[in-house]
Amino acid sequence: MNKVLKFALKLLGKLLLVALGFFVVTFTVYFFNLDMKLTAAIEPFLLKHYDRIERDTHL
Amino acid sequence: MAKEIGKDRLGDFYKDGGKVRKRREWRGVEDTLYDYSRWLTIMMTLGKFVMKPRNVKAMFRYRWMANYLAVPMMVDRHTQGLRGEYLRICHTEQDLIINDVAQLLDSLFRGDRRIGNDTEFSKKVVLVDENEMTAVMMGFPTLKSLSRETPSTYVSVLLNQHAAEHYIDVAQEFGLAGDVCPMPEAEAGVSIDDDAPVLGACAIQCNTTCDGSLLGNGVISRRLELEDGIPVFQLAAPLRHREEDVQDYAAQEIRNAIAFIEKHTGEKWDWEHYFECAKRVNYATKCRQEWLEMNRTPYPQVFGSNLALYTETNYMAICGRIPAFEEADRKISKLAQQAYAKKKMAAKEYRHRAIIWGVQSHYYMDFLVWLLNCWGIVPLTDMLSLVSTRVLAEEDTPENRETAIYDMAWLTENMIMRNRTHGGYKVLLNELWEFTQQFNADMVILWEHMSCKALTGMHGMFEDRARELGIHLVWVSHDLFDPRIISRQGVHDQINNYMRTVMREEPIDPSLEVLHDEESW
Repeated sequence: MNKVLKFALKLLGKLLLVALGFFVVTFTVYFFNLDMKLTAAIEPFLLKHYDRIERDTHL
Repeated sequence: MAKEIGKDRLGDFYKDGGKVRKRREWRGVEDTLYDYSRWLTIMMTLGKFVMKPRNVKAMFRYRWMANYLAVPMMVDRHTQGLRGEYLRICHTEQDLIINDVAQLLDSLFRGDRRIGNDTEFSKKVVLVDENEMTAVMMGFPTLKSLSRETPSTYVSVLLNQHAAEHYIDVAQEFGLAGDVCPMPEAEAGVSIDDDAPVLGACAIQCNTTCDGSLLGNGVISRRLELEDGIPVFQLAAPLRHREEDVQDYAAQEIRNAIAFIEKHTGEKWDWEHYFECAKRVNYATKCRQEWLEMNRTPYPQVFGSNLALYTETNYMAICGRIPAFEEADRKISKLAQQAYAKKKMAAKEYRHRAIIWGVQSHYYMDFLVWLLNCWGIVPLTDMLSLVSTRVLAEEDTPENRETAIYDMAWLTENMIMRNRTHGGYKVLLNELWEFTQQFNADMVILWEHMSCKALTGMHGMFEDRARELGIHLVWVSHDLFDPRIISRQGVHDQINNYMRTVMREEPIDPSLEVLHDEESW
């Protein structure tokens, strides 16, 4: 029983740690707007890519 | 960093010449955690979307898809300064709209001949215009009504102010007139640039709002019919939609559109489903009227972009077909009543009560939040939210089936924007002053969309009447989809000049008066 309880507590501790880590990382990304800063850096490469696509452009 | 409304200097979040804001707002523990949880939900929606390889393929095929990188920033712009119920109302709406657009994109790419090429699915798709009531789809539960223009142009410009510029230039390079509305012009540009998904059993276009929309429809339908083999029906709703003698014709157009869809999809109109949708349309109308009723009091609750963006989506694009919007209506009403009972305010000071008239600029949809935060001007309602309040027949009887045809015709005639820009001076000019009285407004902010001839033609008449009634009339010129003509700061300057020189007022939040966000999404 003791072993089971110990394992459960250990698992719970790990889960809490993972949840806390997830919160710290994602909240930092959220608060400092890192998601938008990253996508803003990606956009120019995407636009260059679109310019290279061959298209059947006509009326 | 403040919990209280109006304590933050919202302009300080902007970086001069930057594309994105420096950081997100601290709104106190509860509201910040709520906003963070909604941000996580949005990230999950986007994550789920890009999990599908066909959506990634589409991301690298269609130029307008790059704008969807800016989804979280669009939400941030509309939630600026909001706390409590106002923040929750905004997220209830925006998150649902994001989810709906993600599903629309997913469906488009599933059927798209270039991407998913699911031919069986494509046979069940009816393409509709962006600016079109989807009432004729209320009785086709097994069909998918999809708009290509909604994600490629309409939503794109809400996400990124520069989204339409490339397509406007393409259209003009091919000789299309430069002085028509940039919205249909950009839609035509998407088609010319070979950047529209190709799918569907047939398409329904509508003589929506202006000469520009006819221009766009002509270019798009030719490519659809002659190259893609997708037949197109032109749903021509009457111009003078308030006149009794045009209603029989309008109803016949609806019957013809339904027959066209049945012919090309092999599906039959389902009255039971139609009346289910009609009940939801009536519920949405009831909720919208309750919100507008509150906005006539000193404590408006659902207003600004919380009212405008949601009404456009729910009234026209959804039209009772998606039950999730009924749930959202219920939740918004509950939040609004809760805030109203506590006499809550969305900003620290309300100085002026304004009706927003005319067609708003899409590259600056968060202008309404700016008006409130910078100058304390409460945007009680906008022209596009003052749509039909007619109660639709909702019980399936032989008489009601006939009435329903007229109801659908009425909705189509009274689609957003069209119900005011068509129909003559009574609906565009005269009714404005009735609304200023009903809402006890002391100010009218008049968006002057310079390419919209129906509106600009009445410039002098608006001025005369405002002078007679002693209403402050503030003109805000813009070019709808093209911020190169008048920038967001150009829009600010028109308000700033009026407020400083005529009203002799100082801004509530001076950091918002001048924002160098020309490069921003």
